[in-house]
Amino acid sequence: MKNYLKKQGKDQPILEIRNLKLDFHTYRGEVKALNGVDLKLYPEEVLALVGESGCGKSVTALAITGLLPENASIIEGEVLFKGENLLKKSKEEMREFRMSECAIVFQDPATYLNPVLKMETQLKEAILLNKEALKKAVIAEEKGEKIGYAEFLAMKANPNEVSVKDHRVSRRKIDKMAEKLIIDILKLVKLPDPERIIQSYPHELSGGMKQRTMIAMALARRPSIFLADEITTALDVTIQAQILHLLRELRKKIATSTLMITHDLSVAAEIADRIAVMYGGNVVEVTSTRKLFRKPLHPYTQLLLRAIPNILKPVERLESIPGTVPEMINPPPGCRFNPRCPFVMEVCKGERPKLEEVEEGHEVACYLYKR
Amino acid sequence: MKSHATCTNDEAKDEELLKVRNLKVWFPIKSGVIQRTIGYVKAVDGVDFDVVKGETLGIVGESGSGKTTLARSILRLVKPTSGEIYFKGINIVKANRRKMKEIRRHIQIIFQDPYASLDPRQTVSSILFEAMKIHGIVKSKSEALEKAVKLLETVGLSEEHLYRFPHEFSGGQRQRIAVARALAVNPTFLLLDEPTSFLDVSVQASVLNLLKDLQKDFNLTYLFITHNLAVVHHMSNRVAVMYLGKIVEIADKDSIYYDPKHPYTFQLMAAIPLPDPEAKKREVLLEGDVPSPINIPRGCRFHPRCRYATERCRKEEPQLLERDGRLVACHYEIDFPAEEVTGELTDE
Amino acid sequence: MSGQTVKTRKGEWEARLADIKYSLYLLRKNPLVMTGIAIAAFFIAVALLANVIVDPKLAYPEGYPGEMYPFDRKYMWNANHFIQWGPGISLYYGPEFFYLGTDSYGRDLLKMIILAIPLDLYYAVVITLIAAFFGTLLGAIAGYAGGVIDEIILRITDVFFAFPGLVLALVLASILERSLETLQLAIVLVWWPPYVRLMRGQVLSEKEKPYVEALRALGASHTRILFRHILLNSIFPIIVQATMDFGGVILTFSALMFLGFSPSPAIPELGNLAADGYGHIFDAPWVIIFPGLTMLIISLAFNLVGDGLRDVLDPRLRR
Repeated sequence: MKNYLKKQGKDQPILEIRNLKLDFHTYRGEVKALNGVDLKLYPEEVLALVGESGCGKSVTALAITGLLPENASIIEGEVLFKGENLLKKSKEEMREFRMSECAIVFQDPATYLNPVLKMETQLKEAILLNKEALKKAVIAEEKGEKIGYAEFLAMKANPNEVSVKDHRVSRRKIDKMAEKLIIDILKLVKLPDPERIIQSYPHELSGGMKQRTMIAMALARRPSIFLADEITTALDVTIQAQILHLLRELRKKIATSTLMITHDLSVAAEIADRIAVMYGGNVVEVTSTRKLFRKPLHPYTQLLLRAIPNILKPVERLESIPGTVPEMINPPPGCRFNPRCPFVMEVCKGERPKLEEVEEGHEVACYLYKR
Repeated sequence: MKSHATCTNDEAKDEELLKVRNLKVWFPIKSGVIQRTIGYVKAVDGVDFDVVKGETLGIVGESGSGKTTLARSILRLVKPTSGEIYFKGINIVKANRRKMKEIRRHIQIIFQDPYASLDPRQTVSSILFEAMKIHGIVKSKSEALEKAVKLLETVGLSEEHLYRFPHEFSGGQRQRIAVARALAVNPTFLLLDEPTSFLDVSVQASVLNLLKDLQKDFNLTYLFITHNLAVVHHMSNRVAVMYLGKIVEIADKDSIYYDPKHPYTFQLMAAIPLPDPEAKKREVLLEGDVPSPINIPRGCRFHPRCRYATERCRKEEPQLLERDGRLVACHYEIDFPAEEVTGELTDE
Repeated sequence: MSGQTVKTRKGEWEARLADIKYSLYLLRKNPLVMTGIAIAAFFIAVALLANVIVDPKLAYPEGYPGEMYPFDRKYMWNANHFIQWGPGISLYYGPEFFYLGTDSYGRDLLKMIILAIPLDLYYAVVITLIAAFFGTLLGAIAGYAGGVIDEIILRITDVFFAFPGLVLALVLASILERSLETLQLAIVLVWWPPYVRLMRGQVLSEKEKPYVEALRALGASHTRILFRHILLNSIFPIIVQATMDFGGVILTFSALMFLGFSPSPAIPELGNLAADGYGHIFDAPWVIIFPGLTMLIISLAFNLVGDGLRDVLDPRLRR
C-alpha cells in the first residue's frame, strides 16, 4: 500500500493524530476516554475506524472536528491536518475548517435535521454562505454561460476573477441560483425527483433518502476529509447497500479521504481500504482490509472476528470475549485489554504498548509482537 | 390445512406450538374534526405460519415489513384486527383476560431496547420478585430469593447484582436481566424481538450463546425477529421473510440464503455485507425505498421494485404456496444467478 | 432464614441511599437553591418551635370574646381570652421594646409573626397535599385509561380551572360558616386542576415506554402497572410542583384572609396581621410591612427549593 501511495506522491498522511489523550469530567470522576490515539489518514483512501461502544471512536471524530463537549479536556497529543495542529485552533478557525475542509455526516438524519424547516431551507443555508461566488455565478449565467455545480466550485476557488462590487444582484436571483445548484448536487447522487425532495420536510423523506442527501451535500463541496460517523447504522440493509454503493461510485469522481466510523466490521470490509481497530481509547491495530481479515494480529481483533456470525462460515457457538468493556474511570493499567486477553503477560500490566509497524503496512499495539 | 403453512419435511409431524392463520393487524388513520377513518396502516396483512416445538423460527424483514407488529400481536400487546393465533389449542385473539394471563406465563418476550425495557426505579430483585408474584410461582419470600439467585446465575450474572438498579448495568447485562425475568415464570415459548440489535458485537455473541444454551437446557421454542440476516442464520432452523405485512418466503436457513426463490429474498441476501473482503461484491441493487404500509401496491406487493415483474404481477397477488421444498409467494419460478447470491471463498 | 430477609432489606436501602447521595451532591452545586433551602429550613424550624419561643396566650389577651379557636395544638393558644381594644398604636419606644413594633391591638408584632408562621405553613401543607393527592389521582386515571374516562375527567377539571378563587371563596363563605376550614376548602377546590394536567401528561408519556409494554407482556394487571410503576416514575414533577405551590398557597391564603375572610381579627395569621395594618399604612407602616415581607420570603424560599428540586430531578442532567 505504501509503495502505491509513494508513487502517487501521496505517502504523507493528510490527517495525523499523535498520542491523543482526552478526559471527560463527570460526577463519578475523570473518564479517560482517549488514551494516546495514533492514527494516520492518507489522501484519497477510505479508512474505517472500527470498535465497539465506549472505545472512543466517536470521541476521536469530535476531537478532529472541534465539536467536543464542554467537559472534555485534552491532556496531551496533536491532531495534525496538513501539518497544522487542529487542537490549537480557535473556534472560528475550526468553523472554517468544518465548512471547507472537512465534511461530516452523522448517524441519524432525523435528529440533525430541523423538523420544521423544509429541506430546501436547510440545504440552502450552507450554499448561501458563499454569497460572493453565488453573485458571480448569477452574473455569469446572465451573460450566457452555463453554470453547474462544478463551475460554481471553480468560482468559489477564485474570488478575485470578476469584479462583483459594481453589479447589484437581487436576492431572489441568488436564491434561485442556490436552488439550482442544490438540485445539481442531488442529481449527482442519482436521487430520483430532486425537486420534490427539496420541497419536502425531513419527516416526509425516508432515512435512506435523507442520508443520501446529506452525503451529497457533504461531498459536493469537495472536502479534503469526509467523516462518516455510523452513517448506515440506522438504516435497513438494502438501503445500506445502496449507500455503500453510492460511496463507491462517488469515490471514483471525487478524490476525498474518508474516515468511516462504524461498529460493523462487515460494512468496513465492503468499503474500506484500511481498517483501524479501536479498543478502550486506543488504536490497537491498523492494516489493509484484506490483511485484517486474513491475518489479524491483535488478540482483540482475533476474538472480535470470531464473534461475528458469518453466513459463509457458520458455527455452532460464537466466540465471545470474556469479561466486559473496561470502566473508563478506573481503567486497567497498561494495555487496557489485559484483563480479557487470553495471551496476557506481566509486561502488559505495566506500560501501555505503543502502536508499531511489525510487518509491511501492518501496525499493532501489543507486546506479543514487540521486537 | 396443516401443510399449507409448514415446511414439508418430517418436522410437520412434530407438535406445532404456535399456529397463526390469516393474521391481520390494521391501524386506522383518523383525520378531521370528527376523526373519520380515512385509511389503514396495514402493518400485518394476512400472515400464516406455524412454529414447531423446540425449533427457532426466524422472521426477517426491513422497516415497514410488519415483523415487530407481528410479535406484539401474538402477545396481544397490540390488538389483532382479524385472524387466529392458536397456542396450545387456545385462540389468543379471542381469549378472555384470565386465559390471557395464563398464556402470558407460557409465552414471554424479550424486547429490543435493553435500556428502556426495565423499570428504572426497580432493583433487579424487585423485577424478578414481581414476575414471580404475578404468576404465583413461589410461595415465600425466601423461596423467591433462592430462585432469583439461581436465575441470575443461569444468565451469567451473580447474587451481588440483585440490589442494583438497571442504570448501573451495561446493555448486555440488562438483556440478561430481561432474560432472567422472562425465565422466572417458566415459559415454554420465547419471542425475541431484536434482542441483540442494540448490543455490541462481542456482547451479542455471548447473549446469543446464552440463548442457545437456554433453549437446550429448558426445552424452549423461539420466534426470533431481527433485521440482521447473519444473526438469524446463526440462530434459526427456518427463516420467514416478510415484506409489507406478508410473508413472501419460508424455508430452512440455508435454502433462504443459498437458494432463494423470491426476488425480494434474493435482493435481501445480496445486500448483506459480509465480513470477508474477498467475497464478491454484488452490485445488484434494489432500487427505490422501503415502502410504507399505508399505500400498498396492487397485485404483488413487491412488483414496483421487482425486475421480473409482469402484467400478472401487477394485477394478481400471489399466494404463499409450497414449491421446491419451501413456501414462496411468487407467480414465477425464477433462477437467480448463483454467483450473485453467495460470495466466493478464497483460501489463504 | 431471617438473616436472608435482613440482607434483602439492607441491599435495597443501600441502593436507594446511593441514589439520594447523588441528588444531594447535585443540589449542593447550586448556591441559589441552597439559599432557598436554608431559608425554608429556618422557617420550618421556627414553625416547629413557635410554641416554645412565644407564649401563645399573647395572641389573645384577657377578655377576648371571640369564638373558640379550634386550632388547638400544643404550640398554639387556647381561646377564651379576650382582647382589649387598646388605646391605639404603640410606637417603638414605650415601657417595653418591641423589635418589630406592635399591631393595633398592642400585641408584639414579632411574636405574632412567629405564631403566624406555623399556622400558615400548616394550611399550606394541608391544602397542597389534598389538592395534589386528588389532582394526581384523577390525572393518573385519566391518562392511563384514556377514552371516555379521560374526557370526563378533563371536562370536570376544566370546569374547576375556570373558577376564580376569590369568587369561590366568597360563595363558600356565605353558604358555609366563615372559618379557616372553609377557606382551606375553597383554595383546595381551585388548586387541584393543575395537578390533573401535570400527572396526566406524565402518565401519557410513561405509558408508551417499553418497560410498561414489558410489564403487560409479563401479565401484570393495570392497577399494578399504574400504581406501582407509572406513578412512581411520574411523581417527581408533582413533588416539584407541590413544593413550589407552598409559596403560592401561602400567598393566596393570606390574601384571602387579608381581604376579609378571616373569622376573627385576632388570629395570628400573616394576612390577618397585614389586614390590621392596612388602615394605618402611613402612621404605622410596620404593621403591614413585616407580615408582608415574611410572606414574600417564605414564598420565595419554597420557590427556590422547588426550582432546585426540578433541576436535580431532571433526568437529562443526571448521570
